Formats: sequence, structure tokens, C-alpha cells
Amino acid sequence: MIMREKRRYLLFEVISDGEVAKHGLQNAIWDSIYSLYGDTGASESRLWLVNYDSGIGIGVLRCAHRTVEKVRAALACIYSVDGVRTAIRVIRVSGTLKGAVSSTFYCTRTPPRSISI
Amino acid sequence: MPSFFLFDVHLQSGMSADEMLRAARRFGYAGICIYNEDEAIMPSPDLKLNLNPHIYMGIEIRTDSISELRRKLRRYWSRVPLIAVYGGEEKINMAAVKDHRVDVLTHPCGEKWEGKELKHQIPMLKYAARNGIAIEFDLNPIVKSRRSERVRILRRLHENLKLIRKYRVMPLLTTNTRSIYDLRAPREMIALASLCGMEREEAIKALSEIPAGILTRRWKKGREVEQL
Repeated sequence: MIMREKRRYLLFEVISDGEVAKHGLQNAIWDSIYSLYGDTGASESRLWLVNYDSGIGIGVLRCAHRTVEKVRAALACIYSVDGVRTAIRVIRVSGTLKGAVSSTFYCTRTPPRSISI
Repeated sequence: MPSFFLFDVHLQSGMSADEMLRAARRFGYAGICIYNEDEAIMPSPDLKLNLNPHIYMGIEIRTDSISELRRKLRRYWSRVPLIAVYGGEEKINMAAVKDHRVDVLTHPCGEKWEGKELKHQIPMLKYAARNGIAIEFDLNPIVKSRRSERVRILRRLHENLKLIRKYRVMPLLTTNTRSIYDLRAPREMIALASLCGMEREEAIKALSEIPAGILTRRWKKGREVEQL
């Protein structure tokens, strides 16, 4: 019997018009997932913010592999963090943390604070 | 992978179409369609200002009167790549879908869902299907609302989706984008659409095949021949 559930690591980018702190982002993600799926849905997702660099606005989120689409929807529902307008974009999904952060996008990233367009 | 298009993009002051396109492309869209709300924004009725081939300049007609709607349709028909009509009122919805020159009916139940539900507008859906007019499926209220309000919106979107399937109307997924912070990537849009019961394939079609068909006027070609 397999006891350990498969996980997925989501590399995401925060696009905001100001700095978004890790604590605020964590609260916003949890609020969003509670609001959309309730307590049982949130617990099934086994969500964990592995890492978030507020300087460049990129982080890694871990979740159960069956709930990736739910987490995507919850992330898409975040439009403000601590009063700062925010959009979250999932860059890639991987089965390992190494796979998620080894993306060339992550390595060559310039600070996206005010979306460098 | 299909090419995704983002419709219902409104430019606010200080943001150029090129900047919005660059942001949208970063999110994974092939092109955007900007809705110009008012004639005042575009001084000339001849809106062939497309600098970038991936930016489509459409027009969104907002009016309370049917005669004005017809006048504006006459004015803009064949001059813009896309004509959208801002719905909400039952009489405007009906007038819009009866006219084959319209491409998209936006906010058929009102932007704040104050209008009649689609289940009370069945003839309108039949006309929309017959004339090849897409009905906008705005996901922005799901993002911006919380708790009981979101429950109500999701329930209405569920019901609307059932009717859209039954009468074979083309749905068009949008997020009523007004700034880069309203942008959502295609896969996120698909995940959001699944909240209101839309299948993955349906959502992909509503983001790629249907918008591409609208821009090439795939469903209008027969009508154009008739007009000539």
C-alpha cells in the first residue's frame, strides 16, 4: 500500500504594483482556497508555500498532485494582497522541487516588480 | 497547442495597446482584442489602426436605445474587425442578436448580474446561435467576489452554461481586462471555467477556436456574400 501521496510543485510569479510580503501572500492563498473549496477541499490540497522571494516576486508552492487544477483556480482568484493589486501566474508545474526551480525562466529572471514590459 | 486570444480588453489611460499585448503574450496569449467603448476614444469611425497584427481593435457599442444601436452598427460594420454589444437589458440583447453584423454580446445578464437571467431569454439564445453571435462568459465576477455573492454568481454561470450547451451558442471566455492585474493565463482561465462546470475542451475552444473564428468572421462569410 502506497502511503505517500504524490506531490506537485508549482513555480509561480506574482505580478503586483508594489512589494508583496511572504506572510501576506500565504494568507491570501489560504483565504482563496478556503473561500473556494472550504475546509475539506483546503485540507485535501495539502498546500504548502515552499519558498517565495519577495524581491523578484517568484515562489514555489507544493500541493497534492490531484489538486493542481483547484490550486490554479484558487491562485487565479487572488486579485489583491494586503491592498496591493496582484495577479499570480503559474509558470510551470513539476513533480520535483528541483524540476520546478531549474527552469531557465527562473535562472534568467529579472525583477518583475512592475512587470518589465 | 492552440493559439489563445483574449477578448474584452479595455485600455485605461497610461497604458498602450502594445504594452497590453506584451503582457498578454507573456501570459500565453497569441493576440488580444481591444474593445473601444466610446466614439470619443476613437475620433475616426475608420478604426483600421492596427499597428501590430496581434492587436485587434474592436468596438463595444453601449446604448439604451435600439435605434441608436442600429445606427452605430451601420456606422461601424465592415470598418472594425469586431463589433461587440454591451448587453444587460433584454431589449438590447434581443436587438443585438437579431442583427448578424454583431459578433459578440457582452454581459448578457448585466455586468453586475442585475439583468434578466438567460433562462428567461431563450429566444435571444436561439437567435444568437442562428446568427453566429458569441455570448460572453465573463469570469471576472468569480475572481472579484467572495462568499454568498460568488455562490450566487457561480450558480447563475452554471445555469447559463447549461442553456448555452442546449441551444448551441458559442461561449467566449473573458476576464473583462482593464489592467495587467486583471490578466489571467489561459490555463488559469480553464481552471476558473471548470468552477462553473465547463469542460476542459469546451474552455479551450472558448479561448482559441471561437475567438479566432470571430476574428476571421468564419460564421459570417455566408452573410457577407448575401449583402454583396
